[in-house]
Amino acid sequence: MDVTWLLIVAAGVVTYLTRVTPLVAPFSPSHPVARRYLGDLPVAIIAALAGAGVLAPEQRLVLGPELLAAALVVAAGLRTRNLLLAVLVGVAVVAVARSLTG
Amino acid sequence: MRPAEPLPSGRAAALLAIREGWPVLVTPVLVGLPFGVLAREAGLDLPQTVGMSLLVFAGAAQFAAIGMLRDGVPAALIVLTVLLINLRHLLMAVALRPHFVGRGVPARLALGYLLTDEAFAMGAGWARRGGRSVAYYLAFAVALWAAWNAATLAGALAGAAAPDPRTFGLDFAITATFIAIVVLSVRERRDVYIALAAAIAAGLMRGSGLAVVAVVLAGALAPLVPGVLRRWT
Repeated sequence: MDVTWLLIVAAGVVTYLTRVTPLVAPFSPSHPVARRYLGDLPVAIIAALAGAGVLAPEQRLVLGPELLAAALVVAAGLRTRNLLLAVLVGVAVVAVARSLTG
Repeated sequence: MRPAEPLPSGRAAALLAIREGWPVLVTPVLVGLPFGVLAREAGLDLPQTVGMSLLVFAGAAQFAAIGMLRDGVPAALIVLTVLLINLRHLLMAVALRPHFVGRGVPARLALGYLLTDEAFAMGAGWARRGGRSVAYYLAFAVALWAAWNAATLAGALAGAAAPDPRTFGLDFAITATFIAIVVLSVRERRDVYIALAAAIAAGLMRGSGLAVVAVVLAGALAPLVPGVLRRWT
């Protein structure tokens, strides 16, 4: 097995462990504060994924077309409640901005 | 909001997941294609490219891995980076655990393999609405798995013939999807505070050299923000 395959398998194993460990480990939060925290996690994680892509799309902080696009995705989502439409608005804004700025 | 209507289970829940979630399935195709192309350009052969999508099945980590591979970074450091990027799955699995816990361990091992940001967002949203059937998460997660792996294969076969996704803003599709899911899942004011805190913190960290831990740190800390705000005001 060459080093690339070794890398792929190792990356697969560590990733799988992050996915299943909390599902099979004996653990069950009962305290209301813990339950509230777990209930708030989904929005926090998805928003973190979004913010990373908006503010630092190339891993450097930029106030670029992504920020404008994000604002319009929020506006379109609030107005239409339509996920696909909101996404398409964002993609279109970024595409137009990039074609204008080169 | 349809409070009186009972949420379906079994096959009906699975069909509902696809009917509601199909726009999200567009994104893995749009992102999987360029992944296949870029992996080949980074030096992976066809089986390695397809194998990585099957074994790792995590878009952000896979892009990071092939980028580092292309830059000649040692394999151990690449695996460590993949682990750090995917630590957020720990949080997601913790949050989904109550939804899966009625299932046996073999079923949970399979449900966990299919866990992605998108499947988590769909499944957690379903559970928040009061859905109990795991079929909703499972159907969506399997569809996403198929889309990602088929797109990887197509991109790897097309090679340089595939267009650069940046030209059409398609690289922004996944970020836009996350934004829209957050917008559609906000229920009360505290959700807005948490989402803004998480987004800004993750963006600042990713932009200042902390990219690999940005999402896991911001995601873990942001739920504490409403409590802190309440204490100060």
